[in-house]
Parts: sequence; C-alpha cells; structure tokens
Amino acid sequence: MHSIDFSALLASSVHDLKNSLHALRELIDQIENLFQEQKPTELKQLHFEANRMNNNLMQLLTLYKIGSSQCTPTIDEHYVTDILEDVVDQHATLLTLSNVELITQCNSDLVCYCDSIMISSALCTIVNNAHRYCLSKILLSATQEDDYVVFCIEDDGSGYPENFMSSDCKQLHQIDLVGGNTGLGLFFTKTIAELHVKAGKRGFIETDNNSQFGGARFKLYLP
Amino acid sequence: MTGEHRLEFVLSAVDNKPDDYLIKPFSLKQLSSRIEKCQIRKGYIANIENEIDNGNFYQAIHHCERLLQQDDKKMRLQILKIQAELSIKIGDFKKAEKIYQDIQQERELPWAQLGLGVVAFCLGDYSQAIITFQELIEQHPMMLEAYDWLVQTHEAMGNDKYALSLLSSAVTLLPTSFLRQKKLALLADKAENLAIAKTAYTASIKLGKHSVHRSSSDYSGLANVYLKSNAIDKAHQIVRLLNLQFQNDPEALLRAALLETEIQQTKGNKLLTQQAHKKVFKLNQQIDTKISRDLRMEMAKTFYLNGNSEDCDEILKDLVKANIDDRLFIKDIVTMCNSIFFDKSYVENLMQTIKKELADTNNKGIKLFHEGNTQGAIAFFEEAIAILPDNHRFILNMIRILIHDMKASKPNQELVMRAQSYINKAIQLGIPHDKVSVIQSALNPFLRTNN
Repeated sequence: MHSIDFSALLASSVHDLKNSLHALRELIDQIENLFQEQKPTELKQLHFEANRMNNNLMQLLTLYKIGSSQCTPTIDEHYVTDILEDVVDQHATLLTLSNVELITQCNSDLVCYCDSIMISSALCTIVNNAHRYCLSKILLSATQEDDYVVFCIEDDGSGYPENFMSSDCKQLHQIDLVGGNTGLGLFFTKTIAELHVKAGKRGFIETDNNSQFGGARFKLYLP
Repeated sequence: MTGEHRLEFVLSAVDNKPDDYLIKPFSLKQLSSRIEKCQIRKGYIANIENEIDNGNFYQAIHHCERLLQQDDKKMRLQILKIQAELSIKIGDFKKAEKIYQDIQQERELPWAQLGLGVVAFCLGDYSQAIITFQELIEQHPMMLEAYDWLVQTHEAMGNDKYALSLLSSAVTLLPTSFLRQKKLALLADKAENLAIAKTAYTASIKLGKHSVHRSSSDYSGLANVYLKSNAIDKAHQIVRLLNLQFQNDPEALLRAALLETEIQQTKGNKLLTQQAHKKVFKLNQQIDTKISRDLRMEMAKTFYLNGNSEDCDEILKDLVKANIDDRLFIKDIVTMCNSIFFDKSYVENLMQTIKKELADTNNKGIKLFHEGNTQGAIAFFEEAIAILPDNHRFILNMIRILIHDMKASKPNQELVMRAQSYINKAIQLGIPHDKVSVIQSALNPFLRTNN
C-alpha cells in the first residue's frame, strides 16, 4: 500500500488549477472585449463563478500553508480605510457588472495591527459571499470596540442559514449540494482571525442575521 | 509584483524588500491604487531618501525629526522605522534602541523586535541578540532576516558550526538566494565542512551566472574544496573554467595561477610548482588595478610557502597599513600568519612597526596644522588619505582641520561638501558615533549657511 501525502498533492494540484483558472479568466476578459455595447448576461455569471472558484482555491492554498507553518502573519500597523479601499478595489470588476452597491464606512483615523494581505483576503471572501446572496446592497464598515477593531459586513439578502449562525465554526459544515455552501469561506476567515493574537487575546468571527438591511451580518474581531 | 504562490518565489520577492506587493489575480483598480499610495508615501519621504542616497545620514535623520514634528499619524511609524535604521547606521545604538522599545510598548511588531535584536548585536550583547532572534524565528519561521542575524551573532561568538547549521536551514527555505549561498559556502569552508561548501559553491556559480555579484572567488572556492578533498582533476577542471570564463579579469587570472601553484604542489611536481609560482609573481607585477585584500592575503601566504618571504613581507605590511582599523581583518591576518610562520612574534612586531609609522605620519600632519600651515596640513592629509583611504585617524583629523579652516576664513560650498563627504566616509567605516556626531554638529552651521 503506497502512502500518499494528500495535503502536499492537493496543494500542488490546487496551484495548477489556479494557473488554468487564471488562463480561463483572461479568455473571459478577451471575449468580453469583443462585445462593445450590450454584453451577454452569461458573461456576468462567468465572471462570478470564475471568481468564486479562484477564491476557493486561494483559500485552500492559504489554509494548507497555514497548516504547514509556511504562512505566518506579518503584523504591522495599517489604516483601516486602506484595507477597506483595497477590498473595494478587488471587487471593482464585479461591481461594474452587477447592480450591487458596495459602501464603506469607517473613521479615517482608525488603525489596526494585522497582516493586511490576510485580512483583506478574509474580508474579500465574505464580500464575495455577500455579493452572491444579497439583493442590491453591501455595507463594509469598521469600528473600535474596547480592545478590538471590528470589521462588519452587512447585506440585504435572506441571511445566513440556521447552521451558519454561530461563532463556533470548528468544523466545515455538511456540504449543501444544492446551495453549494460548504462553510469554507467562514472557516477560512475564522482561521485568519485566530492567527492574530495580542496579550493572550485572539481574533475571532461572529455571524448572525442582525444586518441593518435585514440580511446577513458578519463580524471580524481583531485584538 | 509576483504571479507566483510558490514559497521560494514569494520569499525571494519579500527578501528584496519591495515597497509593496500584490498577489495575482488583482484588478487594474487595485494595482493603480497601490501605485498611487506608494507614490504618495515616496513623495512624503523624498527628502529623507535623497539624503540617504547621498550618504548624508545625519541630514536624513534631521529630516525624519522634522517630519515627526508635523505629526502625520499615518506616516509616523514608517518615519520612526527609517530613523531607527539610520541611527544604527551612524552608530547611535541607544537612540535606535529607544525608538524600538517605545514602539514595542505601544504594540509588539516583528520589525521592531528585529531592530532590538540588531541593536543588542551592535552593542555586543550577543546572548540577548540570540534570545531575540530565536524568539522571532519561532513566531515567524519564514523570517529570513532573523536567520541572517542569528547566523551573524553566532559567527561573532565563534560558534561557526552552529552558525553553519542555521544558515543551511535558511538556504533550504530559499535556495535561490545567491548571496546566502555564497555566505554558506564561505562559512562551510571556514568550518571545514567540505560537503556543504561544495554544494554551496556550485549553487553560487549557477545562480551567479547572470548576476552583478558574479565573482571568480566562487570558482576558486570550489577548486580549493576539491583540492582539500583530493579531487585534483576536478580542481584542475575548475581552474581551466576560471581561465576561460574570466579572460579579461586580472583578479580571476591571479586566482587561477595561485590554484595552479597549489595543485602542482599537491601533486609533488616541483618544476611545475615553480613555473606556476613565477606566473603568479609576473601577474602580480603586471596588474595595475586594485586587487581584493583577501586575494592579496592568499598571495602573501603562497609567496611565503614558496620561499619568497620578501614579497610576502611587502604584501603583509601593505595589508596591515591599509586595514589597521579593521579589527576583524587584522585578526584574520594574525591567524594566517600564526598558521604559517615559525616565528610567532613576527606579526606582533609588524603591528607595532606599522602603528608607529602611522602615528608618525599623523603627527607630521598635526604639526603642520599647529605651526599655522593649515593649507599645508590639508594637502598633507589629502595625500595620506589617497594612499590609505580607510584610516580613521587621518579622516577625522582632515575633517577637523577643514572645519577649522571654514571658521577662520570665508567658507565655500566646495569646502563644506568636501568635509561632509569625509564625514559620510567616516560613518561608512564605522567610526564611533560619539566621535562623528561632534564633528557633524560643528559642520552643521556651515551646511545651513550654504543652503
């Protein structure tokens, strides 16, 4: 019986898949450029799905690296407005294709201490999900709450299903083959949050449906 | 920008300390926003960076202090980081330590912790430096800078074997780092670990093929390892390669000739050894460009071992004179001499003689100054520095005399710039901060007048 290092095998395969997906996305862009005026609605779907696949692969790779200690956070001081702007910039293409409004709200002096690339990835993951399930609006905000900087993403969709409304996302939930919700995104953001530690306090996430717009609300706490 | 996720590529990108980095895929908007933010940052610290590019570290620190007074909260931490690094450069270690400690009080940041480790190293507190760097590596196993400093600290303590094993770990993380492979080869050579030395020299040769850091010393290093392992034919192959690849490089040809001497000596071919040795001698006479001091030390050794103690003597006198203030290099000379000379008092006597000669030269220049012949003193020290450009005493006295001249007569831009360039040289040479800061303070009023 051969012993196979599946984690290394998967990581290597995921890396190859990302490369192929990147080529696919370039082709989608090229096809899009062929249409000057009325672009087919299928293009929007292509972008969304390709983007979603890419995000999933990126999350898998990052989780693998964290698991094999190849990826530790590089903590530095960052202005929260810069991180939020980066998240908005990453969604620039998708936003132009859809009718979804992505609003940011944050005090310009608010500072956090984190690995900005990791936190930006974590927030993008949740914004991607919100984009998929919202109607027309996503609010990305940040505030200081005691010893934590809290990032909050609220949408006007139908909210999280019952089994996702917990801060305790220890396990990936059962795969929902219809909806496609594996909980990977939440697990990913939880892992990123927990890498951020200060004076014994660890980062964490919270999910509920108390969005001011009636949909899902996600909160990321950084010490 | 990197399109790679593979560890070695990401690490090598980060190793080059970019202003920022993006991982693909990224949107056009992301790229343009990052570039814009980078431009704003660079614009803000442009004055600091200009002074650093010109080697004017005190002026760069002055700009840091001015910017900090403006109290731009967004840029504060970055300016403090630059100021701390500059403080280390000029030898003001206590100032750097204070900056890093204050930052750590607010929030523990890896780069500030690294800075404290560097300060501990510079102050000679090696045990504290080791604790700091080890802690960093435990928390951040990919932090190559922490490895580099830990290696340097152990080397400074004489723990060559342990330094070697640490550097091997760092190279395993990033095998494509040319400079680290080079360092690994030298350390392995020193620690007499021929297996690692051979692998590292081979990697250096491969990685350095198109690099500006490419050097014939990698080839000669590998050839020496082959010699020590009795692989004479392989050593000979490398010598042929050296002659072929570096045809227009006099230093490379000299290395090849020295190796040839050693190879023939190992083979026991007296006649061929003599012929090779004559070639070394002839090349040495012909070359009019400056040869690296390590190569000259090797030549001195070869001359002595081939019965040419007169030329050996001449080279050693020259090397000691030119490097009298470089403690580590002088230590290397002493070690080399003690390993080959029968008379162990030779090098001690040589040091005393040279120190007296240099003191006499210095006193001649000072005497001219005290006699009121300022221009004569300036010309005297200019000539002395042209011959011995790294001599601390000559440089310090030259600056003092130039400043005196400025005070006595009407200062001109040329004189002020000259004094500043000598101060920058003093910083580069590691002349202690307490000596340099006093003369920089004395020059500052003239800099302000000129501006």
